[in-house]
Amino acid sequence: MAFGTYKEVVSARATDKAIQKVAQDGGIVSALLCYALEENIIEGAIVAGDTEDAWKPEPTIAMTPEEIIAAAGTKYTFSPNAIRLKEAVRQYGLEKIGTVGTPCQIMGLRKMQSYPFATRFVADKLALIIGIFCMENFPRDSLKTFVEGKMNSSLENVNKMDIGKGKFWITDPEKESGLALKETHGYEQAGCNICLDYVAELADVSTGSVGSPDGWSTVFTRTDNGADIFTAAVEAGVIETKPMDDVKPGLELLEKLANGKKDKGRKEIERRVNMGLPSPF
Amino acid sequence: MSDKIVISPTSRQEGHAELVMEIDDEGIVTKGRYFSITPVRGLEKMVTGKAPETAPVLCQRICGVCPVPHTMASVEAMDDSLDIEIPKAAALLRELTIASSNLNSHAIHHFLVAPDFVPEDLFKTAVDSVGTIRKNAQYVVDMVAGEGIHPSDIRIGGMARNLSELARKKLYTRLKALVPVVDNHVELMTNLILEKDIPEGLGAITAPVFASDVIYGKREFFDLDRFTEIVPELWYDDPEIGKRACTTVPLYDGLNVETGPRARLDKFQGYKEKGVVAQHLARAREMKTYLSRAIAILDELDTAANTLADFDPRGTNKLGIGVVEAPRGTDIHMAQVKDGKTAFYSALVPTTWNIPTMGPATEGFHHEWGPHVIRAYDPCLSCATHVMVVDDEDGSVVKNEMVRI
Ligand SMILES: Cc1cc2nc3c(=O)[nH]c(=O)nc-3n(C[C@H](O)[C@H](O)[C@H](O)COP(=O)(O)OP(=O)(O)OC[C@H]3O[C@@H](n4cnc5c(N)ncnc54)[C@H](O)[C@@H]3O)c2cc1C
Ligand code: SF4
Ligand SMILES: [Fe+2]
Repeated sequence: MAFGTYKEVVSARATDKAIQKVAQDGGIVSALLCYALEENIIEGAIVAGDTEDAWKPEPTIAMTPEEIIAAAGTKYTFSPNAIRLKEAVRQYGLEKIGTVGTPCQIMGLRKMQSYPFATRFVADKLALIIGIFCMENFPRDSLKTFVEGKMNSSLENVNKMDIGKGKFWITDPEKESGLALKETHGYEQAGCNICLDYVAELADVSTGSVGSPDGWSTVFTRTDNGADIFTAAVEAGVIETKPMDDVKPGLELLEKLANGKKDKGRKEIERRVNMGLPSPF
Repeated sequence: MSDKIVISPTSRQEGHAELVMEIDDEGIVTKGRYFSITPVRGLEKMVTGKAPETAPVLCQRICGVCPVPHTMASVEAMDDSLDIEIPKAAALLRELTIASSNLNSHAIHHFLVAPDFVPEDLFKTAVDSVGTIRKNAQYVVDMVAGEGIHPSDIRIGGMARNLSELARKKLYTRLKALVPVVDNHVELMTNLILEKDIPEGLGAITAPVFASDVIYGKREFFDLDRFTEIVPELWYDDPEIGKRACTTVPLYDGLNVETGPRARLDKFQGYKEKGVVAQHLARAREMKTYLSRAIAILDELDTAANTLADFDPRGTNKLGIGVVEAPRGTDIHMAQVKDGKTAFYSALVPTTWNIPTMGPATEGFHHEWGPHVIRAYDPCLSCATHVMVVDDEDGSVVKNEMVRI
């Protein structure tokens, strides 16, 4: 199955203009976390906050909607949000926590919940886990190398990064420019090449841009908890939805990419195993 | 006719120990000897030669009952060796941690002695309140020190992090709500202890009290010059016991001492009752002291303040002393750091102080009361045990030689 277990898939976006303005796609992550915070479903959220260094995110414990929204937008480099989970539960005193992560990070969280070694009374405090689709992620030095070396810009100048239509896009004050994805190959972290999960199959809710039009997101609800929160947010008018069948390019493209990632990953796993290298899957 | 009663291992305490009582025709104890038979500890050797930060992490594994006081005494010793003055907020957080951890530990002791004092119809009530107290007290340790069992955030130089305002308020509210639970529990236990037909004067001894502080512990208290340590062969007048005992015998001014809740109350609050009943009552009374101090700290804590001092980890080989009042008494760790490595380490833990005192405390009463006397000290043996050289083949002590660490 390309998408893992899910209840429903829709195209959606946040109705709040302030979120639309800063969000990567439909603003689903920020809108859901803000809604959950305001409804006391969560007491805080761990997100990828900005730092003084351009495009160097840092896991951040957000306690207000403003802090959640300040961390909106995709950073194409690592933000290991789980690293602050324990602190969020302990010194921050949060008993209900929301977080967001790439599929591999969600896998880590679920593992933590299944085998809570050193996370006693910690992993059970996760009340909302939002997964974002992911084809690969880059070390920050990789980003710097191709943004500077291949796109004639600098990280400090880039306002937005995005991946779509076969290209890696940057927007700087002068222009928007794209770099063919084959030019970024080899710069991703090595683990991504054996990753089989495109759509965060283990999250409560997972979301990404692929499948939906610009400014909208594709959303899977997966767990009872995730579906309840998403439905409530839609009913509260915080999020608006459209059936997947009504939008372009639709699920077909997403399915192609999700299956493509699995095929490529399995091939790479086989190659590594044949060389006598270890494989986690 | 004289006879010998041997209880091995003594029960409802942590670790393994043996109580040997010589009795007369009436069954009255004429000579009591109590000694540890828990296998070696050896942590002092393990931390030597490693970075100073290793010591608190390993030393908290000395004991599963008091990981928190051992961590604390360890960082206190390191702070002293490295000449660090920790920030005020860190000192408050450390005291909050000890107050909560000791409250939890005293509650556990009520589990252990419940069969001695609590009648069947009140058993559930007592055990439920012990559960509630423990849960809340450990929650505080979790939050402040990062982990209830092996706290990760008690650091050389202070505490890893301060609390958030939200956490401070939550803990304050929780502990406020715990006050009536602790009050009722202490009243219940106090009445049950007083109602029990314990013979007058049971366990009363003349050993001096050994205590550094009402709650947290004070480094200045411990004067190394007044301290000596002898091997068990020199202490126990029975050579067989001298050989099998696993702890050295620490003496202060050349005398064995009593440490723990009663000793603290005796020294600092004018509480002069002695013996088993007094020890139980003192322990119960301390639960209230700990809780009210924890609440006061949460009230005054500045959550925006820094909690970790900058320091130079290289060290000057200064002998650092850490003194913490653990539930069972004064816990002392000593450390020397030189060239960024621990050059010397030693832990003098509460039960080790009490071991030579507990045996004689059984004397003069029927041997059936012996275990009660021991339990009143709430001994915890795993931390008390030192290293000795044994023959691999027959397990005997080699050449009566104890490795002094
Ligand atoms: C490395 C990476 C690769 C991706 N690849 C794809 C893809 O191939 N196809 C696709 O459809 N979507 C992909 N996405 C997801 C997409 O870019 C958006 O993040 C997603 O659609 C959510 O947008 P939004 O408007 O709902 O979220 P927003 O409201 O903008 O919020 C995004 C949230 O994600 C958090 N976040 C940002 N970067 C990271 C990070 N690196 N690690 C953890 N959390 C982070 C932010 O803190 C914020 O809370 C990828 C995301 C990442 C991080
Ligand atoms: S491709 Fe897989 S391994 Fe790489 S960042 Fe995305 S989810 Fe993680
Ligand atoms: Fe102990």
